[in-house]
Amino acid sequence: MSIVSGPEAHEEDEFRFHTGRQAPTGVQDAIEFVDVHKAFGRNKILRGLNMGIPEGRISMILGPSGTGKSVCIKHMVGLLYPDQGDVIVHGQSVPNMHDDELFEMRKRFGVLFQDGALFGSMNLYDNVAFPLRQHTDKGEDEIAEIVNRRLREVGLANANDKMPNELSGGMRKRAGFARALVLDPDIVLFDEPDSGLDPVRTALLCELIQEIHEENGGTYVVITHDIMSARRVAEHISVLWRGRIVESGPAEQLFESDNPFVRQFLSGDSQGPLGME
Amino acid sequence: MVRSVADRAFSPARNVLEEVGDMMILTGRTIASALRPPYPYGGEFVSQFLFAVRLCWFPLLISTVAFGYGAPGLQAANFLVIFGALDRLGGFFVLASIREFAPFVTAIVLAGVAGTAITADLGARKIREELDALQVLGVDPVKNLVVPRFLALMLVTGLFNIYALIFGIFGGVLATLTNGAPLGPFWATFFTNASTTDLWGSVLKTTLFGAIIAIVCCYKGMTASGGAEGVGRAVNQAVVIAFLGIFAFNYVFTQTLLATHPEIQVIR
Ligand SMILES: Nc1ncnc2c1ncn2[C@@H]1O[C@H](COP(=O)(O)OP(=O)(O)OP(=O)(O)O)[C@@H](O)[C@H]1O
Ligand SMILES: [Mg+2]
Repeated sequence: MSIVSGPEAHEEDEFRFHTGRQAPTGVQDAIEFVDVHKAFGRNKILRGLNMGIPEGRISMILGPSGTGKSVCIKHMVGLLYPDQGDVIVHGQSVPNMHDDELFEMRKRFGVLFQDGALFGSMNLYDNVAFPLRQHTDKGEDEIAEIVNRRLREVGLANANDKMPNELSGGMRKRAGFARALVLDPDIVLFDEPDSGLDPVRTALLCELIQEIHEENGGTYVVITHDIMSARRVAEHISVLWRGRIVESGPAEQLFESDNPFVRQFLSGDSQGPLGME
Repeated sequence: MVRSVADRAFSPARNVLEEVGDMMILTGRTIASALRPPYPYGGEFVSQFLFAVRLCWFPLLISTVAFGYGAPGLQAANFLVIFGALDRLGGFFVLASIREFAPFVTAIVLAGVAGTAITADLGARKIREELDALQVLGVDPVKNLVVPRFLALMLVTGLFNIYALIFGIFGGVLATLTNGAPLGPFWATFFTNASTTDLWGSVLKTTLFGAIIAIVCCYKGMTASGGAEGVGRAVNQAVVIAFLGIFAFNYVFTQTLLATHPEIQVIR
């Protein structure tokens, strides 16, 4: 690091490793970020983000803590609006949608929030059944069958009538996971499905993600800090840092990348461009 | 440079104005959303109504009797006794209790008890991202959370005002009895001064107080940020803003009512 550096030099420094290279994936993008800027007050989070999420693949967004991965996900479903730029889902611009269109679009999404976001006033069963009751005319029997299957898959078959505040963080995560998937959505967004889980459950959850993806298809976006998970399930990887993409492309290519930041991050090395700051 | 100084100097004022503007917008959206079908908020409305009643009936009972007995009751009675005109206490209670004290005590208790509960509840849901999850699941928080609270609080405040009136006047009765005076003259001056305008004015005013409390408390809850501490801050601000709103609105309402109905200014 040079001590004397003007603002411009600093600017250049900051994005030194951001080649922004988007290796071709061979399929269309389901979700596209076009030059998105987003700031909270003075705190600039997204700074000209260009990112494509390929249709029908399991994509992972990796990046250091606090770079705005969760903020990204909220842009995709219209919970946050960009200050500048555009977010496009299946060819439609999300920030320009009317409320009605937005609600229609959201039905095709399944979202697992970082902390599960279960409804505190309902037990687990009702939480997972909620989207079905909200959006389908299925009878209670059919709903029970689907909900019980999903809860079994995530290992919560015996916790049906527990309230969210009686559960551990990992259990809430898994319940949120089940709820995100009950409607078999076209696009599924998982915000750190594997954080707070033990290593075995993480591995099992990764398998589950793959299984369900094979069964139902659809575009999956997974945010994770766990490189092992990334190696296991990612088909496409985007590395996000300082509000921009460092590099993105098919997983095999990213793991072979010679970009110093990507290498450091994907190998979890303490030596490299990323420090504590 | 000038701009940044101006920004720093005026930004608190601007933020307050912005918030007030946002609350106006929320009011508009709430009313529009309440009227436009579908109407999925019935159940929530009933539960919020019962919740507010359960929470408020006892504090309100104590406050109104004690307040009616203590402030306008004993003190005005002391004053009137000097003139040998204790029978006038009844007439004074129309002015004091119906027009001002009952609505105020109702609004303060409702804001402090039910309003804070609403802000804390919505704030906690906001922090846990439940509100985001609801929106993603296609549930409009305005229609399903704000509208039922808005309607329930208006109804509860309006009804509780009558309840507060009754117990406030009971405080006046107690004060008369404490002075060893008969109740007949109290009721006589009470009913010559009371008019239906006073009654509907009072109920309408408190109903609108309820609307103010609901909007402020819902807004503050739904925009809480910054963890558990943020919820605490939101609750605190909600009470302060609700009180300010109520006081300001009360001034406008009373002035308008007196100007449009000059006959109620005459003391008989
Ligand atoms: N609603 C908000 N208001 C203000 N600041 C926010 C808001 N949401 C996020 N931020 C800020 O944006 C930054 C990025 O947050 P975000 O949650 O997206 O990080 P992240 O990449 O998901 O991190 P992690 O991996 O730790 O979950 C943080 O500094 C946070 O303080
Ligand atoms: Mg996050």
